Amino acid sequence: MKILTTVKKVVDVELNIQVKEGKIVQDGLQYVMNAWDENAVEATVQLKENNGAETTLVCMGDSESTLMIRKAYAMGIENGIHVDDPLLESADSNGYAKVLKKIYENGDYDLIITGKQAQDTDNGHTGIMLAEYLDIPCVSNVVAIEVVDESQLAVSRIGDSGTEIINVNLPALLTVSDSINEPRLPALRGIMMAKKKAIETKTLADLELTLEQIDMQPVRTEILEYQAPSVRQAGKKFEGDAAEITAKVVQLLSNEAKVI
Amino acid sequence: MDFEFSEEHLLVQEGARDLVESKIKPAAIDTDKNHMIDPTLVKTISELGYLGAYIPEVYSGADLDFLSYIIIIEEVSKACASTGILISAHTSLCCNPILQSGTETQKQNFLPSLATGEKIGCFLLTEPDSGSDAANIRTTYVEKEDAYILNGNKIFVTNGGYLGIGIVFATRDRSQGYKGISAFIVDLSTSGIEIMGNEEKLGIRGSYTTSFALDNVKVAKENLLGKEGEGFKIALETLNGGRIGVAAQALGIAEGAFDRSRAYAKERKQFGKPLAAVQAIQFKLADMKLKIESAKLITYKAAWLKCQKMQHSVESAMAKTIASETATWVTKEAIQVHGGYGYICEYEVERMFRDAKITEIYEGTNEIQRIVIAKDVLK
Repeated sequence: MKILTTVKKVVDVELNIQVKEGKIVQDGLQYVMNAWDENAVEATVQLKENNGAETTLVCMGDSESTLMIRKAYAMGIENGIHVDDPLLESADSNGYAKVLKKIYENGDYDLIITGKQAQDTDNGHTGIMLAEYLDIPCVSNVVAIEVVDESQLAVSRIGDSGTEIINVNLPALLTVSDSINEPRLPALRGIMMAKKKAIETKTLADLELTLEQIDMQPVRTEILEYQAPSVRQAGKKFEGDAAEITAKVVQLLSNEAKVI
Repeated sequence: MDFEFSEEHLLVQEGARDLVESKIKPAAIDTDKNHMIDPTLVKTISELGYLGAYIPEVYSGADLDFLSYIIIIEEVSKACASTGILISAHTSLCCNPILQSGTETQKQNFLPSLATGEKIGCFLLTEPDSGSDAANIRTTYVEKEDAYILNGNKIFVTNGGYLGIGIVFATRDRSQGYKGISAFIVDLSTSGIEIMGNEEKLGIRGSYTTSFALDNVKVAKENLLGKEGEGFKIALETLNGGRIGVAAQALGIAEGAFDRSRAYAKERKQFGKPLAAVQAIQFKLADMKLKIESAKLITYKAAWLKCQKMQHSVESAMAKTIASETATWVTKEAIQVHGGYGYICEYEVERMFRDAKITEIYEGTNEIQRIVIAKDVLK
């Protein structure tokens, strides 16, 4: 089985992100692998270990994206493709899906695994769009993958009414939930080996793609402005006699908050 | 001059951060409280290769450079200084002298089990009457047939409780001073070695600090490290590198306390505004950052010199002194920024304050470091 796994470099949301004049302040930002994509990498490596598979990872973005690829190498991915083109700076989910379509077509893959969304934009578009453009089956929010045979997987997903088990024919695309696995911590030896491995770097021209072909002239969607979330107001604390407090809280809920 | 980390260093840093965030940080309070690192955590650290960071691949290590190792100690110590010294004492004080002075057979015999954490390494130099005055040790050895027989007492052995591999220093004749001292690689499960208990300490309470009595301990001749009489030199060289590890540990402690103080100052409101809006607190944070950045520069410089195989004893002494004094100062101020909460275990800065002090003492007190620095500036 040949698996293509996609990974996005995202801002580390654990750190403080500041917005100034409608833009995110770039100074001091740190980047990490999108958490759901770490689950995708782990799922891929487990499939390789348990069933045998050829694994390839693709990451789009600037030169720092190679760190994401090397981290995936340290976790057990074998091949890495880095799509590095300044023209992609303003790309949206649709643009990325179109580039990924080309990567898929160049590689004769049986399965695509992506995180179900990215922790920066929370869109969850790219994987599903990619499946649509490729006209292959797509299962989202996947929590377990079992190989039935060379041409079929039994996939569990969380749906509205509980866990659904779906048999899906390959080639297919899966977007994984964070509850599918716990991504492994890379071992130092893995990091050392990751450093030595080659990464295939591609520009749009290398992929024989024009901006028109990836719907970026003009781009379909554009982020006009960022706004910092409003700061949560501090709560009120009441101390003293229980009956008095209860009466006071009821009065406030009724007159001030107007919820009762 | 290049102040940027290489891709390899960034990868190691991120890998260490992942390990710290998911395993070491959540265990730090219990590590202190229980006076031990959970054996499962030691196993995880071992399995991921953190005990063999810069041991070459042929001896089952990860083959990283010394700076990578320093980055690891710093990252781990941000969350837990006891776990930092587990890795640092093991690597700097046991693996390193074997790598530097061991024969090929010794490397093959001991390094793989140390690199994989099957055995934890330690360093048996200090004695009840011989601390900084290391040339004055009383543990003796005599040659008997095909072996050396060691007798004496050793104290303050970091990692001693794991009963792994120790570098033991002993003298054949005290009248010869430092020239009489030799170093031996000893499996601490050898008969005649009795562990005399784990010390109760101010800080790094998760780290074992044990005493040993050596009663006619038989050490095979092939386990003499270096040549006879070279023990003191090996000890000093080992401590030169070890000091950079302690500097990284101290730096990590200071950074951990600073990160918590900054976050707390932004979050905690008094008199209707965050602490961070009060200039008295701002200045504390600025001073913390000033000291941390200075400590970081000299620590990385010392590590870089060691990587380049250049002289680094003075820089190691400076790094250890600056970083350790930074750690004690920053952690003290961190408690002050936290006010009453800083005195409570849950907020962790009180532990960091207790942990920091040892970095001014072990692997050569700061007074000894100043002698090294003074000797250099006056030469």
